[in-house]
Amino acid sequence: MKNIKYIFAILIAGFIFQSCGDMDIFPEDQLTTGSISNSSDGILNVTNGNYALLKDGAEFNGIVDDNNCYLRQYFQMSDFAADDIVCGQKTEDPLYYSFTYTHSPNQSNARFFWYISYKIINGANTVIQYLESKGDLTDEEKQLLGENYFLRAFVEFNLVKFYAFPYNQGDPNSNLGIILRTSTSDPAEKARATVQETYNQLLQDALQSADLMNKPRGKEFASKEAAWALLSRVYLYMEDYNKSIEYADKVIDSGRFTLETSESYPTYFANALQRSETIWAVAFTPSDNRGKFGSIASMIYSDGNSGWGEEFATYDYMDLINKYKGDVRTEYIDTVFKEPGVVQKKNGLEMFFITKFSFQDGDPNLSSPVMFRLAEMYLNKAEAYAHLSNESEALANVNIIRENRGLSDHLINSVPNGKMILGVVLDERRAELAFEGHRYFDLTRNKMDIDRTYWGYHIKGLTIGDIDLSKKPSGYDNLIIKWDDPAKLYFIPIDEMIANSQCIQN
Amino acid sequence: MKKTLTLLLIMFLAFQGYSQITGTVVDENQEPMIGVSILKDGTSVGTITDANGKFSINAKKGDVLVFKYIGYKPLSVTIENSSPLEIQMTIGAVLMKDVIVMGYSKKTRTEISSAVSVLNERKLNDAPANDVATLLQGKVSGVQVVNSSGEPGSGAEIRIRGVSTIKPGNAEPLYVVDGIIGGSFDPSDVESITVLKDAGATGMYGARANKGVIVVTTKKAKRQKTKFEFKTSYGYNIADHGNVKMMNSEEFFNDFSAELYRDYETHQIDKIKFYKDYPQDLLQKDYDWVGEVFKPAPIQKYYLSTSGRTNKFGYYISGTYYNEKGTYRTTGFDKINLRANTDLQLNKRVSLKNNINISGSKGSSYDYLDMYYSYLGVPWDNPYNEDGTPKYVDGKNKKWWSRDHINPIHSIDNSDYNYKGVGIDYDMVFNLKILDWLSFSSSNRLSFGTDKGHRFVSPLAAGTFHNKGYVSENQNMWFGAISTNLMHFDKNFGSNSIDGLFGIELDNGYSEFMNLEGKGLPEGFSVPTVASSEFKIGGSREKELFRSFISQVNYNFNHTYFLTASYRIDQTSNFPSGHRTAHFPSISASWLLNKMPFMNSINAINMLKLRASFGITGDPDIGASRFLGLYSLNTQYNSHPAATPYQLANPDLTWEKTYQYNVGVDLGLYKDRIKMTVDLYNNDTKDLLVLVSQPLSQGFEYRWENSGSVNNKGIELGLSTLNIKTKSFSWTTDFTFAKNKNKLAGIAKPFYTTIGGVSQIYRNGNEIYTFVLPKWLGVDPQTGGPLWEKIERDEAGNIISRTPTSNYSEAEPQEVGKALPDFTGGFSSTFQYKNITLFANLAFQSGNDIYNFTRVFMDNDGHEPYYNNMKPKSDWSRWEKPGDNATHPSMQNNALSKEPSSRYLESGSFIKLRTLNLSYSLPKRWIKSLNIEDLSLGFSANNLYTYTQFWGQDPEVTLKQQAWSMPGVSDFKYPNNKQFLFNINLKF
Repeated sequence: MKNIKYIFAILIAGFIFQSCGDMDIFPEDQLTTGSISNSSDGILNVTNGNYALLKDGAEFNGIVDDNNCYLRQYFQMSDFAADDIVCGQKTEDPLYYSFTYTHSPNQSNARFFWYISYKIINGANTVIQYLESKGDLTDEEKQLLGENYFLRAFVEFNLVKFYAFPYNQGDPNSNLGIILRTSTSDPAEKARATVQETYNQLLQDALQSADLMNKPRGKEFASKEAAWALLSRVYLYMEDYNKSIEYADKVIDSGRFTLETSESYPTYFANALQRSETIWAVAFTPSDNRGKFGSIASMIYSDGNSGWGEEFATYDYMDLINKYKGDVRTEYIDTVFKEPGVVQKKNGLEMFFITKFSFQDGDPNLSSPVMFRLAEMYLNKAEAYAHLSNESEALANVNIIRENRGLSDHLINSVPNGKMILGVVLDERRAELAFEGHRYFDLTRNKMDIDRTYWGYHIKGLTIGDIDLSKKPSGYDNLIIKWDDPAKLYFIPIDEMIANSQCIQN
Repeated sequence: MKKTLTLLLIMFLAFQGYSQITGTVVDENQEPMIGVSILKDGTSVGTITDANGKFSINAKKGDVLVFKYIGYKPLSVTIENSSPLEIQMTIGAVLMKDVIVMGYSKKTRTEISSAVSVLNERKLNDAPANDVATLLQGKVSGVQVVNSSGEPGSGAEIRIRGVSTIKPGNAEPLYVVDGIIGGSFDPSDVESITVLKDAGATGMYGARANKGVIVVTTKKAKRQKTKFEFKTSYGYNIADHGNVKMMNSEEFFNDFSAELYRDYETHQIDKIKFYKDYPQDLLQKDYDWVGEVFKPAPIQKYYLSTSGRTNKFGYYISGTYYNEKGTYRTTGFDKINLRANTDLQLNKRVSLKNNINISGSKGSSYDYLDMYYSYLGVPWDNPYNEDGTPKYVDGKNKKWWSRDHINPIHSIDNSDYNYKGVGIDYDMVFNLKILDWLSFSSSNRLSFGTDKGHRFVSPLAAGTFHNKGYVSENQNMWFGAISTNLMHFDKNFGSNSIDGLFGIELDNGYSEFMNLEGKGLPEGFSVPTVASSEFKIGGSREKELFRSFISQVNYNFNHTYFLTASYRIDQTSNFPSGHRTAHFPSISASWLLNKMPFMNSINAINMLKLRASFGITGDPDIGASRFLGLYSLNTQYNSHPAATPYQLANPDLTWEKTYQYNVGVDLGLYKDRIKMTVDLYNNDTKDLLVLVSQPLSQGFEYRWENSGSVNNKGIELGLSTLNIKTKSFSWTTDFTFAKNKNKLAGIAKPFYTTIGGVSQIYRNGNEIYTFVLPKWLGVDPQTGGPLWEKIERDEAGNIISRTPTSNYSEAEPQEVGKALPDFTGGFSSTFQYKNITLFANLAFQSGNDIYNFTRVFMDNDGHEPYYNNMKPKSDWSRWEKPGDNATHPSMQNNALSKEPSSRYLESGSFIKLRTLNLSYSLPKRWIKSLNIEDLSLGFSANNLYTYTQFWGQDPEVTLKQQAWSMPGVSDFKYPNNKQFLFNINLKF
């Protein structure tokens, strides 16, 4: 019977031991919502996280798919839908739908882009809410607050460009824009704002950010000038040409930036963070190298091993930059030769690789993509002046670029016969800003069709046996995309539609 | 005073005719047996033998004493006089089979009130396997086993009674080894496996029993004599590609490539252009990529054990070595497993059991893309240089046909994906008999395990790491401690007997993970320290805590009516305080009808039992901290720490629970020559733990919520018959069959999962894993283009018309199939003639659909001209000219033909000859002089033949719901094996 005492002792001890065990277990590698504001650098970490989301392959649908990255989609969803890059191979990658305009709400690149955009907005809102409620901010805190307003504006602007009708197409007061999220405690289900409301919000955010940012942290972060550059771009899209010029001038007059020269331009994109033309670039370090499966470069360039190298520059683009000898922008095309003078073909198409996103640290897949640079400011002005019918100012700004791109001998002093001033400006924008996510919107904004009458796998049902490079393709139904074709819009992702009953599909 | 009383009592008893009966119990070898239970029949009076096998009990003339000991035939002895008894017990296989290990307790077949299936060693070990799940296929009704991969060392997937959870991740049942949750073991050490299927049985594991429980019991010493057993198997694996046979040079040239040049207007092949692009001398080359990459590979297994028992000490010690080379180049798996099970009877009251299992394994795995390219290589590419070494190929190589310019053989040989692991489990079970009817047990297990993975790509390999090289290592380490402390009681009152247990359980789990990677390796080196650039590190830690109160009461009246009730309270740290505690009651009852007087006249029926059970079980298996609002710190921006929004908080998150109902009948006819078990069940899993889709515009995809329920109802049948039994010949068959119907309800909004464009919907009233795809309507006979079904609806959403459309975007995704089978089952037959035994086992399933994702590449309509294609099924045809009724579109009018649609959805039904085993046991008289007890030689063949309409690798397709896999989608996988083995079993 003695034993029974021990047993009960053991049992009781066991119960006590168990009830004392702390059941509140917190993760050791994550911040909780509460601990962000408790730690000295929580706000800084979240701000940096918002930039990191632009370059990271965040988890989506339970996996980290190398194909998914905000910037990769940002460039592909615009440039692959335009006329600077030709599709050289059919692929399972949803980038193919941008070439073919067979968009669907299930398209993973457009779903991911939407998702990460709003994750950045959520992160920005976290910081904005905390700092706005804190009051009495240091200059450093104001800078962080400004950066988050800037990021929100930047991300909202890119969203409205892809998922809504352009500001100048139809009525922005009735066309649907994006879902505006300005607080982390928003109800889960929310309706889309109009295009006008979206622009109002992002303008307000951008203007506020420009005021707040006075402690620049480097070219890999947003700054007052980056906010002005964004405003110049936004006003151009809104056809508010004077404002666009005003903000471009603010950037130019800040004196913080100079154009790359003909000599330095060929090495500019591989070293963008160190160069004076850069206003803001997203920093990729070697550990952000997304390699063959996820880098921006891998689709448009390969050294044989580094990438897929499945898409090439179009003949139209090649003709434009080869028009005048000495144009240093040809340096960003790497033509693959089968034998001297004969261009290598892949799937029946000639291979013109694009190297604007390569060779940081010598790596074919690494670059820190430029979001805003000084050249665009001159070209924004050129376009704005063209619309304001100020031909001489437009040409002057075009020539500032040409002087620095090896074309000092080929300045344009008057509009050539058969051309309009806008055409001259858009040609220069195309040559200069190609592959940087502009061309598709430049055409759309100026109400011009996208003409893709060239061989490539954007043509539905094309097989290699059909290709005859001696003539242009004809008889195919999707060679020209009308400027106002509703099929241009990306769909609101299926995930949003299912979970948000107030959201209306495009 | 005390003495006087005793004397008085003896006198009283003597007057009644009672006297003190003493005796000794010995085994077959005349060794005394301890702990044999002795019960006066029809009473609750009993005792047990002491360390010398001696006992004493009060009994009178005519009383019947029943002697029982596990593993031995029970013995009844009628008292004739008061002289000491000499009892010898003999080993009884019959009783062995009847004892069913239920985890916390043991029961006999007649006592059980719940749905369980038992497989003993003989039924299990028909083939050497590294994984016990494989051995269950087709043998237990209601248990679906999917051998989804043939990779060496890989295990099968098990689903018990359908699928009750819809969260991603683990849907495998709970394993209980030697009475303690979790643990590890080698299949060779398994004595029996009990599959607990209804809540009557699993209720005791309430907290984690939603997905069913598999109770594994390892071997222990049975008798005094020291015994050795040696088993070995040696044989070969041959890759089984199912119906995937790739085209040879001529087929690829004429049947595929030439079709790319068929003029859409003239319907003729433009031979001039074709031969210009595809010179005819290509036909002189014919390289079989699949044949080069997959070769027959040896497999071997050795097992040696010794066991024995003295009065106070029993031991079972074993070692197993398993070695399997993969059929796929460079893959393989090695495992060593050591087990020592000892039990110690310290004194009459105290016993101690120590079980240790140590296992170490290592293996070589593969890269998905290498597997993919191995199938898709074009037969005109020679994988080798003239000197026989694999050829280096990259994008600059102009004379290479295969897409993406990769030679997978070169990649495989210049990379290494290996892993190693060690696991240790130590069990200590302490038993204390406090009173005859009361005992205490403390079962404890400490587990430790670590595994390490190594991925290496040489700088010599073509591809993204060329000239750089890549190495990554990851290591996972986990500790577990579980302690179960129970009081057991067991008491009889006349015809009533009652037994049960109550106590507490504490379970602690902790794991750490770390990984690192780097590039810039000097040639010939693969240790991480040599990496010179692009370093990355990562790691995580996770802690989980469970604590539980456990109780169970079993009552029976007259061994005819049985009632079992259990109650369990569980708490887990996975849920927020306030939602942590859950209660899991269960009750089951049964009625043994054959004990009723009115059944006495029916001689044919030796057992008839009706059972019913109800209970609640749960599932908290979502990992730690899923209820908190979190920011992840796993990234950086320009080398600064960065935090990104990771998880939305849900302070109300709680347990997923299943309400289970079961009724069943067990029938034994003609002295168990025919045994049948039928069960009907209805399981409602409520408060499903679901990742509920959020509007992406919140910045989050999901939030963990409790939402909706899933119902599984079904019927299970098990039938064992001894068809023929003569002196030298016997024939037995086992048949299992299970039908399950799965249905979702109460989900707030339907949601989808999508991988590679293939979607499954979760919608009320539907089965889970229902495919939603545009419906394929074949090929337009006029244009040769693909057709899908367009649905037109009126404003109310009612369907007005269904018409064919050639515009893919008009084709509305429809519910066109499902991944779960309607029924599964198996059939086994054993023929025994003298010393020769032939065993065959068939497994089958029906009613499920498979999305044949590999066909998107291998049967690609010319979308991918530089991928090899599979040989077409006999009834496939390609459109050539208007009027053709073809299954495959014209290559000139194939737009979007390989986009996700029901075109690639195929029936997954199959019948598989899983095992064929022939063994011969040498006659005893030959081997007796060598002191050998038993020597048998055998030959077995596994996975010999599969009958299926599925035109892919194998109809056994994964049911895992996780990152890269969707249930019922057949992606490129490591092919299953046909296995041929020679076996030797030796006992001495």
